[in-house]
Amino acid sequence: MSSANYIRSNKQKAVIWALTIFIGFCALLLLYPVIYISLGSFKENKELLLGGANLLPKRFVLENYTQAWQNANFSVYTKNSFFLGIGTMILTVIISSMSGYVFSRKDFKYKELLYSTFVAFMFVNVGSVTLRPLFELAVKLKMNTSLVSVVLILVGTGQATFIFLNRGFVNTIPKELDEAAKIDGCTFFQTFYRILFPLLKPITATIALLSFRGGWNEYILPLVFTMSNDSMRPLTVGVNMLRNVGDGAAAWNIVFAGATMAILPMIVIYLIFSRHFMQGMTAGAVKG
Amino acid sequence: MLSPSVLLLVITSVYPFFWLFRYVLYDYNGFVAYFTGTYNIKRAFTDAVFWKSVLHTFEYAIGKLILIIPISLGLAVFISRNLPGSNTFRIIFFLPTVISASVYSLIFTFIFAVFRGPLNTVLEAMNLITRPIDWLGDPKWVMKSIIVVAVWGGLGNYMIYFISGLSSISEEIYESCMIDGANGTQTFFKITLPMLSPILKVILLLAITTAFKDYQSILVLTNGGPDGRSHVMFSYIYNLIFAAFSSPQIGYATVLSVLAALIIGVITAGYLYLARKLDDVF
Repeated sequence: MSSANYIRSNKQKAVIWALTIFIGFCALLLLYPVIYISLGSFKENKELLLGGANLLPKRFVLENYTQAWQNANFSVYTKNSFFLGIGTMILTVIISSMSGYVFSRKDFKYKELLYSTFVAFMFVNVGSVTLRPLFELAVKLKMNTSLVSVVLILVGTGQATFIFLNRGFVNTIPKELDEAAKIDGCTFFQTFYRILFPLLKPITATIALLSFRGGWNEYILPLVFTMSNDSMRPLTVGVNMLRNVGDGAAAWNIVFAGATMAILPMIVIYLIFSRHFMQGMTAGAVKG
Repeated sequence: MLSPSVLLLVITSVYPFFWLFRYVLYDYNGFVAYFTGTYNIKRAFTDAVFWKSVLHTFEYAIGKLILIIPISLGLAVFISRNLPGSNTFRIIFFLPTVISASVYSLIFTFIFAVFRGPLNTVLEAMNLITRPIDWLGDPKWVMKSIIVVAVWGGLGNYMIYFISGLSSISEEIYESCMIDGANGTQTFFKITLPMLSPILKVILLLAITTAFKDYQSILVLTNGGPDGRSHVMFSYIYNLIFAAFSSPQIGYATVLSVLAALIIGVITAGYLYLARKLDDVF
């Protein structure tokens, strides 16, 4: 509904200008916390402790980052965050596209029942209590010392939406394509990875981004799984733990640098692929 | 090809769900479980802290919804007009949704800092307050502060939903409105809102269920404090299971989880019923 090209009276123009300025002001206000923390991460600790609403550092220092990286284990946290993000992304893309394909193309007994089970567990939410059995299970399987279990749980609890997205997308691809592949001698699986999967590219890009975000941003799950194991913590947990350390005030600069490290990669990825993010959100909400 | 998904579904969703009911009648601390009969259930109904947290959940959810829905709808209507700068606004307002709730909540603890925190500094400079306000420590303010953070983090989502809803309303309708001489307010209430209502219903459903389930940012902002004033159901339950300084009370927490799920279920059902009733009226 672009109505920008309609003829407007001066009064209407004035209203639109006023609104634009007001919303621009709101946008700046909204960005303030993000800018405050990123620029603050270059401030000296004594300036941070003094407080105030200033954005620009009085003296620009990089040592917060070197300290966080070397003394506060943030190199390990960053590596773990990437592991969670990329692991969740790869696994989600693979299994959700396969399931979406099967749900769209194959008929089998109890298909509807299985499908509604996926839907049902999307809506059943009993909160954090379900982490307890998963944690105990991981301990039993001796998987509580590796982030692989966190990735598996993230993929398992987040997969439903992505399966529906893939299923909807496969539905739009003509069945004749499958049949042609079959005649050429492709098996069901070959049809998937030679013909269908390459065609899923647009939706795969969206799913990859959203699942990476899910893995990178997750907090409570890795928090529970890394209670006693500092070297497994991702950035989200690491930076929050730092705040709870006894003399928290002394480490403000490291918290600022750590928080910036936790948000900046995500923001950069978002700015590059913002369209995919927004498309993914609406597709997931409307179809899922 | 379906087996990895099904396996993960069974392990990560189905199994924990049924596990829940195993300890309902037990006092379980993670190592040993004692049978205590219906004690957990009796305790749940007399636990004042829990029922207060239920009230806080409602306070939080209602406060968040009242703010986030009109703001995001307003933004969507404005941005959908494709004026210069619309795309930039869209990107900016959606940005918080890509940041982890745990990290932006942490950032807000600095913004809300009592002693020379940015917010207090600005308000004092504008002479709006005379003494710094303890945004996260004052029982009067804590819930409002938490709601502000939730709105900040979530409004981009709903804005995008509304934008996609608005784009499905055809251009011609607006043109004929203009020809008939309707002004902006009339167009919004007589055309946009009714035409949006099917999507609005889905968005509200999503918004309500998410608002009642939120607890991650509360854990970081206040962890329920001061004195339980900002505990919602799920943050209270989380602390029963994973508390750092006391032994976990898992059996009791499972009872509360079932209760919480029921409360949310009743609200969802109530909303769906109401939405259908409204359909008949209009």
